[in-house]
Amino acid sequence: MRFNIYRYNPDVDKKPYIQNYELKDIEPGMMLLAALLKLKEQDETLSFRRSCGEGVCGSDSMNINGVNGLACITPLNELEEPVEIRPLPGLPVVRDLIVDMDQFYQQYREVKPYLIVKDPVPEVELRQTPEQREKLDGLYECILCGCCSTACPSFWWNPDKFLGPAALLQASRFIEDSRDQALEERLENLEGPFKLFRCHTIMNCVQVCPKGLNPTKAIGNIKKKMVTNSL
Amino acid sequence: MSLYILEGLKPWVIQRVSAVYISLFLLYSLVCGMTVDVVSFDHWRNWLFHPFNSIAFGLFVVAVLFHAWIGMRDVILDYVHNIMLRMSVLALIVGVLVGCGLWVIRILLFSMVGQ
Repeated sequence: MRFNIYRYNPDVDKKPYIQNYELKDIEPGMMLLAALLKLKEQDETLSFRRSCGEGVCGSDSMNINGVNGLACITPLNELEEPVEIRPLPGLPVVRDLIVDMDQFYQQYREVKPYLIVKDPVPEVELRQTPEQREKLDGLYECILCGCCSTACPSFWWNPDKFLGPAALLQASRFIEDSRDQALEERLENLEGPFKLFRCHTIMNCVQVCPKGLNPTKAIGNIKKKMVTNSL
Repeated sequence: MSLYILEGLKPWVIQRVSAVYISLFLLYSLVCGMTVDVVSFDHWRNWLFHPFNSIAFGLFVVAVLFHAWIGMRDVILDYVHNIMLRMSVLALIVGVLVGCGLWVIRILLFSMVGQ
């Protein structure tokens, strides 16, 4: 199987280039990450992130044949040859397939992704009804792989101002949480022309999310919440 | 109000409300236009200066201007990143839209005087 992989080592290379690889011992049911690990045995300089290998940690997100995804849960038999692998678009490249995700995490931090409780903390846990808990389904499962934000044209256009689908999904997760007591502040924080309202419902985020989440719907729900809250 | 003349939730709501109003007014105009026997300038002028139609048309013009402003502003915010260039283009668009609004008022005033 043939692979065309983006290579760039800023210490050595003047500019990025595509390197061709060929892998012969493909096993049935093999995932792309396994193939990359075999290629790394051939060429130890090939660099990429990976950890759990089960689509849980989100480390091995990359652009695979033009679509963002996780290498560990992408079956090789579903990929057209030559498989073109590039780093996530729109983020600075550290080396080969490794990108600098500082900005992505900064945006994540900006939505305060934790419960804010102003009342005295109770001695027992903060309880929810099954209905209240159900509202968090489709929001809490995000693994922060960055596939969605780096597939979003609005993020490419204004990466320093638009928060991106991943951070906004997290914002929605805490806005919808019945235990959170900072709804006003959270909505106020998202006001302005850039942070939230650069989303034009392009839905690339929905197409690429490896966990099958829907950040566009979450963003729409934040906007609806803003409208109802302002009435 | 701000540097971008309305920002955040307000323009998002205005864009949607204006889109609904523009659609309804165009549908109403189309129905009115299709149910008359003769289409002429005099007929159009009489139709337009009916108090209900005058108000509806005035709101239509305002809706179109706001809708156009918010749409153009979104495109500029996405694509034009140099702050000076962005402000210049936004100012130019405001100028053109205000000019269009004044032009509509002028046409209506002349039509009224003509009547």
